[in-house]
Amino acid sequence: MSDGPPGLRRVDDTCWEIPAGAREDMRVPARVFADAELLEQIAADRSLEQLQNVATLPGIREAALAMPDIHQGYGFLVGGVAATEPPGGVISPGGVGYDINCGVRLLALPLTAEELGARTEPLVHEISRRVPVGTGRAHGGLRLGGGELDRVLAHGPRILLAEHGIGTAEDVAHTESEGCLEGADPAAVSERARARGADQLGTLGSGNHFLEVQRVARIADAATAEAFGLREGQVTVLIHSGSRGLGHQVCTDHVRRMDAALRRHAITLPDRQLACAPLSSPEARAYLAAMAAAANFAWANRATLAHRVRQAVAQVLGRDAAGATRQVYDVAHNVAKLEEHGGRTLCVHRKGATRAFPPGSPDVPAAYRDAGQPVFIPGSMGTSSFVLAGRPGAMERSFGTTCHGAGRRMSRTGAKRQITGAELRRQLTAQGIVVRCPSNAGLAEEAPFAYKDVERVVAVVERAGLAARVAQLVPLGVVKG
Amino acid sequence: MAYRWVDHTAELELHVEAVTDEGVFEDALRALAELVGEGHRRDHVDYDVSLVAADRATLLAGWLDELVFRAEVEGLVPEAVERLELGDDRLAATIRGHRGEPRHLVKGVTYHRLAFDRDGDRVHACVVLDV
Repeated sequence: MSDGPPGLRRVDDTCWEIPAGAREDMRVPARVFADAELLEQIAADRSLEQLQNVATLPGIREAALAMPDIHQGYGFLVGGVAATEPPGGVISPGGVGYDINCGVRLLALPLTAEELGARTEPLVHEISRRVPVGTGRAHGGLRLGGGELDRVLAHGPRILLAEHGIGTAEDVAHTESEGCLEGADPAAVSERARARGADQLGTLGSGNHFLEVQRVARIADAATAEAFGLREGQVTVLIHSGSRGLGHQVCTDHVRRMDAALRRHAITLPDRQLACAPLSSPEARAYLAAMAAAANFAWANRATLAHRVRQAVAQVLGRDAAGATRQVYDVAHNVAKLEEHGGRTLCVHRKGATRAFPPGSPDVPAAYRDAGQPVFIPGSMGTSSFVLAGRPGAMERSFGTTCHGAGRRMSRTGAKRQITGAELRRQLTAQGIVVRCPSNAGLAEEAPFAYKDVERVVAVVERAGLAARVAQLVPLGVVKG
Repeated sequence: MAYRWVDHTAELELHVEAVTDEGVFEDALRALAELVGEGHRRDHVDYDVSLVAADRATLLAGWLDELVFRAEVEGLVPEAVERLELGDDRLAATIRGHRGEPRHLVKGVTYHRLAFDRDGDRVHACVVLDV
């Protein structure tokens, strides 16, 4: 086996390591899951330097980890995992990112793409009519009165079910952490964060957030697919969004607060955006309470988006079809959680990385416990997405974590230099994909070639034993901001 | 113009060069106006901003953060600085802008590679935005 870029030691077929001794300030090694081609792309930007910076965090355990979809971020790279141990180990808001609980929800419709047929375009169009998209203040977000926002922040989508009839009890059960992180405290969410998020519940946002109508093109694991309620040819809807402006502001507030307290905690960092505080500190407790509230808001946001999709299904395909539209699962890929690993309680930061617990885990819904936790890996417009299931290797090697997507490899400007939105729209339409996106520039920024090869990313996590392929989904239509 | 945007994989890096510290803040506002401005202008609105921070670099991040917040929540699109009083750790300003629908979402103003340095007769600053 050939070595990778200088400074990297090959551990095995899918894992490379930068030893802890590579830099004086590293406390643990830095490990990357990749193949040779992905590693070459990864080494082309500053991701590996940023991964080494993460390895300097106080209280970090075992290794700073990077998934194969890793790319350069600001402070904490995208596609990174860090587990820190209380009480002295730290929590870093930058290790979660601005879009707290950005994540993916998959709905399965009770019909095949063949049965959907000519109603594909009306369905995508109706979804685009009902789901507000775009930047900033949203028109059409769910209006919350009185103390409703506080209850959403404290309890997540179960409050929307109880008070607004949004979603189902099965939806809540089929959501990571049942859509509610413990310790969420609405009082920890600032007025500025509330102002940014107040009218954004049920809105998609912009950038790489999207909603896709898909067809199950291939089943790779029939037993697990059956457990997830997926069959070949079936229509699915994938929803990718997060906590919108509310989460962005929570991150901003707490990076500022922790940065100001670094000297008091005697913490020195190679990058200010890694600002952090010991898990036992008031700063950490305040962030955990606010982050959990923002995560609950994000789950409520995706629940509201799913409700709007069901309304569109009812309009185009009938009420029975809407009633039989099941939520397969909902996973976060920007969050920090206290979890048990190797007999220790650790704070696992996942930024652009997905929890992937294996069969038998008590944190996996009862219906899926023998199959493993569902994981969704969105591709990019025009390419496949994948349904995976968590595997034991994730607990052994990556704190129960796998990748989250294809991973960007090109800047937005770079993408726009290569293709116009109008041309990309023509190409996608020629492939039979219905596109609803009000912004040509926004469309071009998310061109498929701006991302890594999602199939290659999935192949690495599969070979590494972190997750296994269950089904491949191909796009029929896309709604974007 | 004395600013330039550098586009990275998932973020935008703003470089500003000015003769004075005040000029950095004025040019940073112009840069953000270019990013969020939506092309058509409606009635002008003047609005005030006041900030306190530990140092000039942190103050610059706070300045952009405030402009992003006002743009997203109040639809205030900045155009120019009308008045700027800059202290070592504080800032008070009146901004001329207009109400509109800002076109570009900025998730956050980061501290990654944040810099505000004097080099001879010029001041250089750098701020990275998550977009």
